[in-house]
Amino acid sequence: MIEVRNLAFRYKNRGDYVLKDINFSMGPGEIVILLGKNGAGKTTLFKNILGIEKPSFGEILFDNREMSRLGMAERARYIGYVPQNIQYGSLTVYDSIMIGRMAHFGYRVSETDGEIVDSVIRQMQLEDLADKNVDELSGGERQKIAIARAIAGEPKMLIFDEPTGNLDISNELLILKEAKRLARDLNISILTSLHDLNQALDLGDRFLFLKDGRIIYDITREQITTKVINDTFDAQVRILDIDGEIIIKGGKI
Amino acid sequence: MYERILKKNKHKNITAITVIVIAVFFLALISLFVGSSNMTPEEAIETLLFRSNAADTRIIWNIRIPRIIAAILAGAGLSVSGLIMQTVLNNPMASPSTLGVSNAAVFGANLSIIAFAGGFLNVGNNIQNYSSAANPYATSLVAFVFSVVSILLILGICRIKSYQPGIVVLAGIAVGSIWTAATTILQFFATDVGISAAVIWNFGDLGRATYKTDLIMAVIVLAGLVLFTIFSWRFNALLSGDNVAKSVGINVNLLRFVSMLVASMITAVCVSFLGIIGFIGIIGPHITKKLLGQDHRVTIPVSAFMGSFILLAADTFSRTLGKGSALPVGAITSLLGAPFFLFIIFSRRRD
Repeated sequence: MIEVRNLAFRYKNRGDYVLKDINFSMGPGEIVILLGKNGAGKTTLFKNILGIEKPSFGEILFDNREMSRLGMAERARYIGYVPQNIQYGSLTVYDSIMIGRMAHFGYRVSETDGEIVDSVIRQMQLEDLADKNVDELSGGERQKIAIARAIAGEPKMLIFDEPTGNLDISNELLILKEAKRLARDLNISILTSLHDLNQALDLGDRFLFLKDGRIIYDITREQITTKVINDTFDAQVRILDIDGEIIIKGGKI
Repeated sequence: MYERILKKNKHKNITAITVIVIAVFFLALISLFVGSSNMTPEEAIETLLFRSNAADTRIIWNIRIPRIIAAILAGAGLSVSGLIMQTVLNNPMASPSTLGVSNAAVFGANLSIIAFAGGFLNVGNNIQNYSSAANPYATSLVAFVFSVVSILLILGICRIKSYQPGIVVLAGIAVGSIWTAATTILQFFATDVGISAAVIWNFGDLGRATYKTDLIMAVIVLAGLVLFTIFSWRFNALLSGDNVAKSVGINVNLLRFVSMLVASMITAVCVSFLGIIGFIGIIGPHITKKLLGQDHRVTIPVSAFMGSFILLAADTFSRTLGKGSALPVGAITSLLGAPFFLFIIFSRRRD
């Protein structure tokens, strides 16, 4: 349903290409993980798909419709975004989640918007937080609100930029579980970057390895080898197969 | 289930707006009774009902009422402009004057007073020339024209480069300092009378207001308020950062451009008619945000009335101080506002 074709990108159409010859597609409910070193172009690729940056070359299609022809609001209805650095104003949790519906309502909230935000709050078990101010929340809770905000827009696809970056282990696991649930239950396609390779293996259906702005591997879990990882990260890791479970040693980049 | 929250918030917002509106109303009433003519409140009320002598009628209807209306309008305009600038530039220190509007207005007014109203280009040091040429609209018009030129200049520069908050603020500082320098040079060549007339213009003074200037201010301030209110949710989204705002379908650059243009126009019209009135655009929104958070659906109206309240209070206070002539209200807002503001900042709970 989303297809990226021959995408290339450079900032302000000057200098070196940050992304080159990017081709991939994703189906409904698929979880695709983007792996690569810092500066490989992960966030830039996200911004291109989100329409925050404009591709210098190539096209991005949603359900066979060229994205650049869609209006900003229409595109926003396709994709939800959970950024790496989460920032809120001093608003209630309820209102913060409501922002995710702006592509639907524009200027004035309707009753439908209220009902959908209600159901998102129930779904994600945020009932106790709903009328608190986001300022009062912990890091993990704020991350959950960001996800709730993204799904309130009823997107077909979600982009998570390092969703577990600043979280402790229990919150990390919570967020990953939530991501799995969204893909399975709501059939949302998820494109995400993750630092932790073992978490990535656990979560992803497919893996894109990005190096210097190019996708050098587009493979499934079974196809991951030490060579793939060492090529991408210029690192030396070992892959252990313990009772059928793959564990990457020294895999935290 | 969450209708309860909506209802609760709505209730809270309506209460906040009602309280501040009532506060402004009563302060306006008190303000009506204060002044240098020894009119008693009873006489003032009689006058309001057109049951008094001609002199009192003139004082109340032609001096005090237009002045109070000007305080309400300019206070609201400056305060809400400050709020919007702070949101769109993601900078708590942004103010209505961030784009150099006030500096440009001062230059325009100085140019009009010093160069065209009998200054060095004319016949020299003759006070008659100033008073005869002191058409308030001419000076205000020139001030306004320069403000708008300055706004367009900065927004033009930013259009070429980018509307990123940091760049806008720096461009505003740079262009503002050019106007200040130009004003200094102008004043260097001015005559004594010219320079004093110019300096007096710079003092913010609500006494210049007439029904005509009030009407012009009302049109621009109200139009701005309506527009900003429509954009409330967009401003709320912008608080989550540019990328999130874009990801929910907002054209962030356009929003920033329109908001800065309108906020600056409001400031330009207030400053051009009344002179420099500092600090309302910082203190009004900050008190509001401290009390009510950042939901623009409520902070926009409340900031506006908060600004009205502060400016009206400062003006009323200044009229009780100066025997016979009010102290410049612009000085009062900063003199009393700044310490209060420091108190607010240092008593912050979070952040």
